[in-house]
Amino acid sequence: MNDFMLVRKNLFRKKLRAVLMIVSILTAFAIFGVLASFGQAFNAGQDVADADRLVVVNKINFTQPLPIAYFNRVRAISGVRQVTHFNWFGGYYQDPKNFLIVMAVEPTTYLELYGNDVDVSADAQQAFKRGRTAALVGEAMAKKWGLKVGDHVPISSNIFSQKNGSHTWDFDIVGVFTGKKPQIDTNFMVFQYDYFDETRSFGKDFIGWMALRTASPSLNDGVIKTIDQLFANSSYETATDTEKAFNKAFVAQFGNIALIVVLVVGAAFVTILMIVGNTMALSVRERTREIGVLKTLGFSGGRILRLVLGESILLALIGGLPGLGLAILFILLIRDSLTAILPHINIAPEIVLSGLGLMVALGVVTGLIPALGAMRLKIAAALGRG
Amino acid sequence: MRPLLLQVAAVTAMNIKSLSQRLWLSLSTIVAVALVVVVLLAFLAMGNGFKRTLASSGSPDVAVVLRGGSQSEVNSVVTRDQVRLVEEGPGVARSTDGKPLASAELYLVVDGVKRSSRTKANLPLRGIGKEGAAVRKGIRITEGRMFAPGSNEIVVGKALLREFEGFELGRMVTFGTSKWTIVGVFEADGSVFESEIWADLPVVQSLFRRENVFQTVRVRLAGPEALSGLKSYMETDPRLKLDVKSEIEYFADQASQTSDLIQKLGWPLAVAMAFGALAGALNTMYSSVAARAVEIATLRAIGFGGFPAFVGTLAESMMLAVIGGAIGALATFLIFDGLSASTLGASFTQVVFSFQLTPELAAEGIILALIVGLIGGLFPAVRAARMPIVAGLYG
Repeated sequence: MNDFMLVRKNLFRKKLRAVLMIVSILTAFAIFGVLASFGQAFNAGQDVADADRLVVVNKINFTQPLPIAYFNRVRAISGVRQVTHFNWFGGYYQDPKNFLIVMAVEPTTYLELYGNDVDVSADAQQAFKRGRTAALVGEAMAKKWGLKVGDHVPISSNIFSQKNGSHTWDFDIVGVFTGKKPQIDTNFMVFQYDYFDETRSFGKDFIGWMALRTASPSLNDGVIKTIDQLFANSSYETATDTEKAFNKAFVAQFGNIALIVVLVVGAAFVTILMIVGNTMALSVRERTREIGVLKTLGFSGGRILRLVLGESILLALIGGLPGLGLAILFILLIRDSLTAILPHINIAPEIVLSGLGLMVALGVVTGLIPALGAMRLKIAAALGRG
Repeated sequence: MRPLLLQVAAVTAMNIKSLSQRLWLSLSTIVAVALVVVVLLAFLAMGNGFKRTLASSGSPDVAVVLRGGSQSEVNSVVTRDQVRLVEEGPGVARSTDGKPLASAELYLVVDGVKRSSRTKANLPLRGIGKEGAAVRKGIRITEGRMFAPGSNEIVVGKALLREFEGFELGRMVTFGTSKWTIVGVFEADGSVFESEIWADLPVVQSLFRRENVFQTVRVRLAGPEALSGLKSYMETDPRLKLDVKSEIEYFADQASQTSDLIQKLGWPLAVAMAFGALAGALNTMYSSVAARAVEIATLRAIGFGGFPAFVGTLAESMMLAVIGGAIGALATFLIFDGLSASTLGASFTQVVFSFQLTPELAAEGIILALIVGLIGGLFPAVRAARMPIVAGLYG
């Protein structure tokens, strides 16, 4: 009979009680796994942003336009390696509820700048540059709407209209691209800016924003200053920032998601700390006499301490591991229905690791006081009690 | 019947009097239930506060006219000719001097800095016509004055001032190259308009280079029933490819998405946490039954039935749950009720709202607590009722 067996027997001596503890620990860790993944997915935009990528938007707000002429002026700035521009289309498919992320881009510079993020076949790249109505669709969006190469799709805009009064543009899908990293969102579509600019009824020669890559992240600050100074006091002043900072500020607009996650997970953990802590104390108290017997048999105080702590840690692991497993399963199940809101959702290794850390911590915290009590217990007192 | 009731009362009293012997375990159940209720109610109060803010913004006798298919003001475009046609439409109320009570407006997004996160956020700048304040209900300037027509002055909503930096009365703000002076702060019955910045329409059009561009038209109707007349008038005129909705309907559509999402998050989280609390409650009650084994068996031996033991245990559990639920509801009220927050609304701008805990929501929280107490007490109560007398007496 080794110590592990003793730990196991002690833990399950009252089966129902052990099962109840396991269930409460399991729910807490399932909540932790799911919420931590949500929180991380919300911030994923910051993590995928390359350090040398900057965003140039109108200083009033990023929804205000910039003149197309700015594109070539930014391109000529030293330290700017590549630059491209975007125009938000406000797309939807048939019904305004079927919201789509669609942007008008300049094909050549777009493909250059985002070559690290998206994988577009050489044929698709050629077709995208050549075809006026050509569009590239991300894998996630193609999957969601059943789109494939060769499809001819009408997509409407809730902002723009064509010169003929229609709100719908026709596109030919010439390629479906995939993300080069798992965190890359592919739930969007890009099409030719020229086609857009020639056909729209207002806003001609304006763009939404620019994205650029500097020659090195160390040049970022200088480039940011140069661009904003170049357009200072003009009719369209710019605000340039790193893509990371821009994404961070955008996410913060929804509210303090991180704080909500911390508060809810905190509440779940306070609950199990109290329940498991009290129950461990109770169950060790009930075993006072046995601990006296073990000590009489020559078990040292340290060994008793390890037995009790081992029991509480084992309990935390037996509850926590399936809890995390449940969270992973849940995230996998809902992932497809969340592509529009949280495309990056995934249980990251860091979350699993911090979960494991929390399990050990929970075991130690709930077991320490009863374990110390058991260690210090005097044989005479233990055998005399109860 | 009477002896049975007396037995039930006696056993229940015993259960409750002996609570102090299981103080820590009972307390942990109370805290667990309280936390479940706090999580549920905080989410419900958040969703409700958001919904109330948007719901109180709409008036049934105001019509909002948007470009067909645009859904929100920020995406809409309306031409000058269309504005004129809408103003002349049937059912539009007129002021004493005979002018239509209509306000053609421009809705632009500008940057502000959120106090809580110190990051840039989208704020709505609304250029309103002369009748802009008159077509809305409950607009009241609380500090300073209304902007003077033709000047680059702005008035800001009370809620916007609370959540965002740099909009204090008398200060100057810059949007791009245009400079504006804040001359007033307004209230709007707690509606979403309190999250907005207002300025004179022609000035906004000129300083933002949107001459002759309009995005929406708001008109005051002669009455709510005048809406259908205006609708059919617009459907028959091919120049008016516009959507018209009552303002109340417009804001209800905008509220539903976000508040549904918040409430959809709250319930599953609370239910998951309730399972954890339930395990704790069951554990506490089984321990209670085990600790009172001798007592229960003794009572049975002197002629008490199983039913009083059942009720006593269930009552103890329900009492713990109700205390927990009440503490949770009270804590939510004290911590969260009235808390100001803001999020990105359907118009792609910040909507400032306050958490609002209503008695109905608090009742939902208490019901969840009672369910935990009921299930948590039921199984241990059955065990108490069925406990064999002889084994129990030996402890």
